[in-house]
Amino acid sequence: MAPYSRKRKVTAHDGSADSSTGSHLELGNGLLEGILSHSEDESENTSDEDVSIEASEADEGFSDEGDLDSDDFPDEAEEDEAEIRNQIRNLKTSDPFPHTTRADEADAGPADGLEDLSGVEGLKRNYTVTTDANGNPRYLYQEIDPVYDSDDSDAPATANTIGDIPLSYYDTYPHIGYDINGRKIMRPAKGEALDALLDSIDIPKGWTGLTDPATGKPLELSEEELDVLKKLTRNELPEEGYDPYPDMVYYFTGREEIMPLSAAPEPKRRFVPSKHEAKRVMKIVKAIREGRIQPYKAPAEVEEEDRELYSYDIWADELPRPEHSMHIPAPKLPPPGFDQSYHPPPEYLPDKTEKAAWLETDEEEREKEYLPTSYEALRKVPGYDRFVKEKFERCLDLYLAPRVRRNRLNIDPESLLPKLPSPDELKPFPTTCATIFRGHDGRVRSNSIDPSGTYLASGGDDGTVRIWELSTGRQLWNAKLSVEDAVDAVRWRPCKDAAILAAAAGENIYLIVPFALLSPDIEQSGRDILDAGWGYAASKPSTNGVATKEPPAKWTRPGTRLEDKGVLVQISVRSSVKVINWHRKGEYFATVSPRGQSTAVAIHALSKHLTQLPFRRLKGLAQSAQFHPSKPIFFVATKNSIRSYDLSKQELVKILQPGAKWISSFDVHPGGDNIIVGTYDKRLLWHDLDLSTKPYKTLRYHQEAIRAVAFHQGGLPLFADASDDGSLQIFHGKVVGDLMENATIVPLKVLRGHQVKSRLGVMDIDWHCREPWCVSAGADGTCRLWN
Amino acid sequence: MGRIKKKGTSGAAKNYITRTRAVKKLQISLPDFRRLCIFKGIYPREPRNKKKVSKGSTAATTFYYTKDIQYLLHEPLLAKFREHKSVAKKIGRALGRGEVGDAARLEKNLIPKVKLDHIIKERYPSFVDALRDLDDALSMLFLFANLPSSEHIPTKTIALCQRLTHEFEHFVIVSHSLRKSFLSIKGIYYQATIQGQDIMWLVPYRFVQRTAGDIDFRIMGTFVEFYTTLLGFVNFRLYTSIGLVYPPKFNVKSDEEGGELGAFQLEGKAITDGEPATNGDVADAIASAEAQAEVDKIIANAANESIADTQDSTALVRTEEDEENNEAIDKFETTAQDADVLPQPQASSTEAASLFAPFTFYLSRETPRAPLEFLLKAFGSKRVGWDSILGDGAFTTDESDTTITHQIVDRPTLPNGSLPDPPPVPETVHGGAVPPKAQWPRSTVPGRTYVQPQWVWDCINQGKLLRPDLYAPGAELPPHLSPWVKPKKGEYDPNLPLEQQEPEGEAEAFEEEEGDGDGDSVSEDEEAPAVQELEDAVIDRDSSVEAGEGMDVASAEDDSDEEEMDEDIANEWEGFESEGESDISDGEAERRQHQRELEAEAAGVTLESKPKTAKEQKTESRKKLEKKRKQEEEDRERQKMMLSRRKRKLLKRIEYGTEKRDKEAENLRRKKRRIENAKEAANAI
Repeated sequence: MAPYSRKRKVTAHDGSADSSTGSHLELGNGLLEGILSHSEDESENTSDEDVSIEASEADEGFSDEGDLDSDDFPDEAEEDEAEIRNQIRNLKTSDPFPHTTRADEADAGPADGLEDLSGVEGLKRNYTVTTDANGNPRYLYQEIDPVYDSDDSDAPATANTIGDIPLSYYDTYPHIGYDINGRKIMRPAKGEALDALLDSIDIPKGWTGLTDPATGKPLELSEEELDVLKKLTRNELPEEGYDPYPDMVYYFTGREEIMPLSAAPEPKRRFVPSKHEAKRVMKIVKAIREGRIQPYKAPAEVEEEDRELYSYDIWADELPRPEHSMHIPAPKLPPPGFDQSYHPPPEYLPDKTEKAAWLETDEEEREKEYLPTSYEALRKVPGYDRFVKEKFERCLDLYLAPRVRRNRLNIDPESLLPKLPSPDELKPFPTTCATIFRGHDGRVRSNSIDPSGTYLASGGDDGTVRIWELSTGRQLWNAKLSVEDAVDAVRWRPCKDAAILAAAAGENIYLIVPFALLSPDIEQSGRDILDAGWGYAASKPSTNGVATKEPPAKWTRPGTRLEDKGVLVQISVRSSVKVINWHRKGEYFATVSPRGQSTAVAIHALSKHLTQLPFRRLKGLAQSAQFHPSKPIFFVATKNSIRSYDLSKQELVKILQPGAKWISSFDVHPGGDNIIVGTYDKRLLWHDLDLSTKPYKTLRYHQEAIRAVAFHQGGLPLFADASDDGSLQIFHGKVVGDLMENATIVPLKVLRGHQVKSRLGVMDIDWHCREPWCVSAGADGTCRLWN
Repeated sequence: MGRIKKKGTSGAAKNYITRTRAVKKLQISLPDFRRLCIFKGIYPREPRNKKKVSKGSTAATTFYYTKDIQYLLHEPLLAKFREHKSVAKKIGRALGRGEVGDAARLEKNLIPKVKLDHIIKERYPSFVDALRDLDDALSMLFLFANLPSSEHIPTKTIALCQRLTHEFEHFVIVSHSLRKSFLSIKGIYYQATIQGQDIMWLVPYRFVQRTAGDIDFRIMGTFVEFYTTLLGFVNFRLYTSIGLVYPPKFNVKSDEEGGELGAFQLEGKAITDGEPATNGDVADAIASAEAQAEVDKIIANAANESIADTQDSTALVRTEEDEENNEAIDKFETTAQDADVLPQPQASSTEAASLFAPFTFYLSRETPRAPLEFLLKAFGSKRVGWDSILGDGAFTTDESDTTITHQIVDRPTLPNGSLPDPPPVPETVHGGAVPPKAQWPRSTVPGRTYVQPQWVWDCINQGKLLRPDLYAPGAELPPHLSPWVKPKKGEYDPNLPLEQQEPEGEAEAFEEEEGDGDGDSVSEDEEAPAVQELEDAVIDRDSSVEAGEGMDVASAEDDSDEEEMDEDIANEWEGFESEGESDISDGEAERRQHQRELEAEAAGVTLESKPKTAKEQKTESRKKLEKKRKQEEEDRERQKMMLSRRKRKLLKRIEYGTEKRDKEAENLRRKKRRIENAKEAANAI
């Protein structure tokens, strides 16, 4: 369509009705309306009125002035007014607000205001009332008399005061006349001028002057859209080529065919009611009458069911629950503590740091899920916001958490700790070095306190045996037993009736009753005991084929030099003796010579001067041997085990396995059920014979090998060990008769004093028979008494 | 030769089954399995050796006991679940087709109803078993009775929970089996003893519960379903055991008016007199009371005559009767300190029944009515009235009723004149016959005891009536303590005075700490606010002392200042140099003392023994204690050395617990000490 592609001013100039309506359609909104109406003002009356209003207003503008000349040219003024009105009518661009009421009053005069009679009507009655045929009032209107020459005093004043001259005179001027004040009335813009102005304004294609509410940009419409809009305003269907009134097409002909398809006559059943149906209906009717068919009733809600739910005793025949170890009932929640109270004692409230710590920790990791808070009154307690959550978590625990039966750790910690005797109870034990016995050249190998507790015997590398007074350290007696061999062991006979000392030097064992040292009767009894055997040995020298075998030992007199000193018996065995141990009754003593394989362990009978070799063969290297204090049991320590033999039955009783690499020495507890073992691998082992063959305690307190161990034999629960690191260690070792209770071992004291010489420290140790004193023999050539 | 045994065919590997395998074996969905486990009370196990069970892997898995699962295979509920599944399918199909009517019909008629009776019987073969497991059930149902209905919780469930819990409460009231109750910040704990079983449950305060967060109401709903069945049967058994008709009559109208407990009416021959009297019956009661009075008078006359005849004999008989009637266990008191105390059973139901029996209570409208009504009635009070806005079922709603002996009030007292005068009662309406209503804050009724709600709880827990003046409205309440905690040896006991609990020398140590605080201001500053707060609280509490601005001085500072002053004076007087006294070791002190003696001897003067100041004595005693403690510790270490490693570890574990406990107790004692000091300081000022 051509007009839409052109500029708007073109449509304004188009005189045809079609195009004007078309433009109305396109732009019929707001300000544009006035512009378009401008083109049709000549044909339409409505716009006439608009212009007349303008004129009347202009008239009013100078009406007071016009009073002067109104008498002179009333008619001319009329004419002028009409002329100007015409001109203005042509030029006027727009007036969007029609002032009809004002126009009525103002245009009472003009001829073209004929149709505005209604306005005049209001002024005076122009009808008469009669009665019509029905008796109703009838209005008869008078003929309207158009009064052209009104003598209205306030006639509109003329705006253009050029007087009675044609306007054409002003054609060459830019103005068309003068107003009442003598100012020029300028000629309004003509059509060409407007055209020229509009030509200069370039309007883009599709411009509507509207804004798109969706985007906020100017709304532009395409041709198709405008077309659709146009159709819509015409109340047409917007679709292209849709015919709203097509010709009717008949689906069937209304004509009746002459020949029917079937010639069969209508059957009778089409006209007679069905008997079968009647029968069925009667059946239903009968059932209803008899009440077999009830009218439908909506079933009532079964609310009562809940009531019925718990209407019997489910535990009427209850049985106790069978015990089952796999059944673990859910643990109950613990009762609330003081701090959960709504008003707890003030000490349960958290202080600032605790509160901050609580708030800082993660909700899952809090020790307590609540913060103790105090409220002064019950009414101030708020709801607990974690309540549902906690109950939910409890639910989860009940069905999701594995249940484990856990034994409560309900042990009194005190009962675990061993019952230590109090330090006072432990008390007498040796603590300091009281006496030092000096005199030996070279190491002191062994020492022993006599059963009366007054003398100390010692033997050393210089081959001498010395006897000292224990309390003072004075040497009372000495004898050189051997020139080249060291005295390896000295032991007093443990009986008080006589004082006999056994000493071993090399292959020889000497039995000594020290001369002029003891009281005469004791000395005499010692001599008697030793001498008693001579006869026995002489009476039975060789009875039955023993002569063929060399005797294990020879009992001889050592010679006058030694005999004068008191050394009465010399026993020669096959290999050098290292250890001597007496039987508690003093009748027997055992010697161990580790090198002599079959003759390693020998038991010597004092009264018979007889030596026996109890073991034909010994497994391992014999280290030491001991008699049981009360039973006829004999312990032999080899390199890494201790065997006990029953002497009366002559059989092996037990093999103890200390687990040591090399046993150095051992001692039997006076009770006879416990043994301590010292080893060269720095360990001290306590064996409970009733408990096990393995050690009950393993003590490792020494830095060097342990040389000797000894129990206190006089009733005090003490034992000590001597080590190559130059120290003695004193322990408390209490054995209770009760089998249920284990022995208590308490380390008490480390005694230092001996010097270490060529990696040898303390060589031997012995306890006093009654007092808590002990004597040690050191490699530094001294003996020390500790008390 | 036997066959080689295959791994995983016997023993632990067969005894346990993972959850996935269990679900597969039962051929049900996981939610169904969960429901089944909840109903049947089946829970996962922790096998002793996980590796043996799960073929060597140690991944976190849930194990069930195989026999439990096998036992589930025969469960009738499984069939119900399957039925339910098929019906659900049908309904789904109908809805898919848009046949809503069909779906509704299917849902109504075909959905199988799950009954849990047999499971109750199975899980709790005897009634006592059920009672033992009632804790969780009651807590849960009381919670649900207070929840609003939502899409997960149907109204019907809530109504059922309410009904069952109220019925249970009625039983507790009638049987007087409630023993203890405790106001916690979580809610109110109750403990009842029924057939020798202690049942404890927790009831939340009546506020809107926060149900947000990851709470699965389906799981809780399953539990509630089970628990309602359980409590229903338990209620039936309990009611019938004391001769009551089980479903008690339920008055819907009263319930709608907030009757709660009052909406139920118990029936049965044993209980007619135990029925809580309502105001409606008062007229009858009065009438009968008059009759009773006459009868009493006649009897009394007759009795008087008889008494006149045989006064001596009756007196004798009476004493005998008294002794016989008293079937209660006598309380044995130990006469000596070191004797063992044998436990005796606590308050019996008769005592519980008589605690509040002679009183008439009135609950002000700001008090929580439900717990108070329950407690008061459970402890023998038959006449409990309350403001009419608290709901139906009160003995009286008239606050000015003269029969009321106790009024429970939870409002602070207001100073005189702060309240506006009550609106004048229009004479024309009431005709002057009605006395003006006595409202609590304006006026008190003479002869009536006004107490705060805590009084009721503390009375119950202590089993006797406490002094009501401690609990008067507006008074500072004594702390409310949990009746279940019996402090063991070494734990802190708030009932005992601090002096009895502190180990020797601790008080001095605490004081020393506080005193040290003066020197290093950093630590003091940290603690100061807390102390300050407490102090302020203490000051506020103490009505006799006006809370002033200048009371902020810490007490410890004062003390130490004074002590320093003392010391200075003492030093001047003595004339000896004694600076840094506390630093001198004992040996040094001895040496000096000796030196002094020597000097004195040389001068020919007898040295008067130096009198010791209080502080010196204190420090000395503390030092002694410290020394002693150190020695003990050493001994202990020595003992520990003798232990085997296993035992040492065990000991360490035990000691961890005790240490923690001791630390807690010490912390509490320290706080208490601090508070007491603050209080003392406040009193001194």
